[in-house]
Amino acid sequence: MSSVIFYRFRSQKDPSRILFDGTGLTVFDLKREIIFENKLGDGLDFQLKLFTPDTEEEYEDDAQVIPRSSSVIVRRSPAIKATNLNSRPKLGALAAVGNATRYVTGKPRVLQKKS
Amino acid sequence: MEQPNPTGLRFFSLGGGNEVGRSCHILQYKGKTIMLDAGVHPAYQGLASLPFYDEFDLSTVDILLISHFHLDHAASLPYVMQRTNFNGRVFMTHPTKAIYRWLLKDFVRVTSIGGSPNEKDDNLYTDEDLSESFDRIETIDYHSTMDVNGIKFTAFHAGHVLGAAMFQIELGSLRVLFTGDYSRELDRHLNSAEIPPLASDVLIVESTFGTATHEPRLSREKKLTQLIHSTVTKGGRVLMPVFALGRAQELMLILDEYWSHNEEELGNGQVPIYYASNLAKRSMSVFQTYVNMMNDSIRKKFRDSKTNPFIFKNISYLKNIDSFQDFGPSVMLAAPGMLQNGLSRDLLEKWCPEPKNMVLITGYSVEGSMAKYLMLEPENIPSVNNPEVNIPRRCQVEEISFAAHVDFQENIDFIEQIRASNIILVHGESNPMGRLKSALLSNFSSTKGTEDEVHVFNPRNCADVILEFKGVKVAKAVGT
Ligand SMILES: [Zn+2]
Ligand SMILES: [Zn+2]
Repeated sequence: MSSVIFYRFRSQKDPSRILFDGTGLTVFDLKREIIFENKLGDGLDFQLKLFTPDTEEEYEDDAQVIPRSSSVIVRRSPAIKATNLNSRPKLGALAAVGNATRYVTGKPRVLQKKS
Repeated sequence: MEQPNPTGLRFFSLGGGNEVGRSCHILQYKGKTIMLDAGVHPAYQGLASLPFYDEFDLSTVDILLISHFHLDHAASLPYVMQRTNFNGRVFMTHPTKAIYRWLLKDFVRVTSIGGSPNEKDDNLYTDEDLSESFDRIETIDYHSTMDVNGIKFTAFHAGHVLGAAMFQIELGSLRVLFTGDYSRELDRHLNSAEIPPLASDVLIVESTFGTATHEPRLSREKKLTQLIHSTVTKGGRVLMPVFALGRAQELMLILDEYWSHNEEELGNGQVPIYYASNLAKRSMSVFQTYVNMMNDSIRKKFRDSKTNPFIFKNISYLKNIDSFQDFGPSVMLAAPGMLQNGLSRDLLEKWCPEPKNMVLITGYSVEGSMAKYLMLEPENIPSVNNPEVNIPRRCQVEEISFAAHVDFQENIDFIEQIRASNIILVHGESNPMGRLKSALLSNFSSTKGTEDEVHVFNPRNCADVILEFKGVKVAKAVGT
């Protein structure tokens, strides 16, 4: 039995879908699938962000599971190059990873929760 | 991040910021939104080739102006009109519209080859999208002004290719000039770019060649014909990868004339010249139709001889490579211009192991394309149909630019005449663009601290430039 997650690029009118087996996909795997499905390339020159359709809240944690039958909004943005960073992102340590390469190479980012 | 700035002018590149390719810029001023160009990046395919459309709400765009038919300026237009919630009005010149139609039909066809049936369609849009959107594109004449809800804009000649336009946009008391790709050199068939009679406050200008200097046209033509002549004399084949329409016609005018002047050695089919393109036949009729928009010398030629100057005595058209009998030296103009795939790539792979053959690159080659890679003179090149196979490269590789973009001196002369106090650089790789910025700043250094201070911006994609105006004077400028 195949499961589905619907995704829509923010600028597009119509949604597309990812088929998979199971009850959900992690944010990491979903991004990876979307990148491969749409042949977006090696991830060096762009970032891919996922948002909930209603609140436009970002799925920031690669490990979060998105349940099957959900819909998400996808946003493809320019990569942030570490050399020409003007404004630092919220987490200074993440400054160098402003692109989507990890979804292509297959190494999830481990978020270190600070208490 | 996306609210239009209530008082200032906001400039925002979705593509073409610090890169050549996927030209697309947004201008917002007093609640009006103008989009300039809707291109693709020639080094990428599918969605990856698009400007960063997710970064802007396209439903807010009032008008979209297309500067010329080149793919890096126009090829994502059907996508924008059919697949997004864009519902603005679209304008381009008549010849741009005429050529755009055939060009994009070919683009859809070429990019759909090679995909297996169970794979997701790589095409950004279909033939149906193309024809459905085509009828909604409006045309504008050179030197005429349109007014759409208080946004006034006028088209001027940009040189570069047939139909290419610069747009001067009037927003209240503010004038913005967008050059698109432009050329200030009179060539064999086009006018050079015009200086609009009214000055502009903001200039959005291409920076493809940065601070580089072109050799004069005549010496480039001489070099070109001599290189080709000596190669074919030695029995070699010359591959000239070209974009099917535009600069190819200029090259054919040069070659046809040279062949006629050297009839005994080259003419009468002794050394054939081929123009391999699906669009060959069509292009002739389009170029004939719009001879009146070209320069005086070609119009005179047309009038005097009563023949189409784009019917060439020494050049034959090839629809595909199957009908090509590759027996001896020849000159082949073949698309696409950056050797990514298709006909020119097939010929490259066939001819590049042979040292007496030559690849002659005359267009601008973007980073990441095969043409750009070839200029490094690699030992091998990968086969496009079988990436595991490496093909030895022993042929000569030469570059003589006929790309019809301004060089540094031409650009700076033009910029000075526009008299804008805000200059936004687009359509250039980071390094040449950065060098141009420094050169402009030092050129205008005497204005520093004065009322007429000239500001130069080289924004990356999706980085804001916000210009504050009081009346028409600049009060403050922020951005990168
Ligand atoms: Zn162009
Ligand atoms: Zn261009």
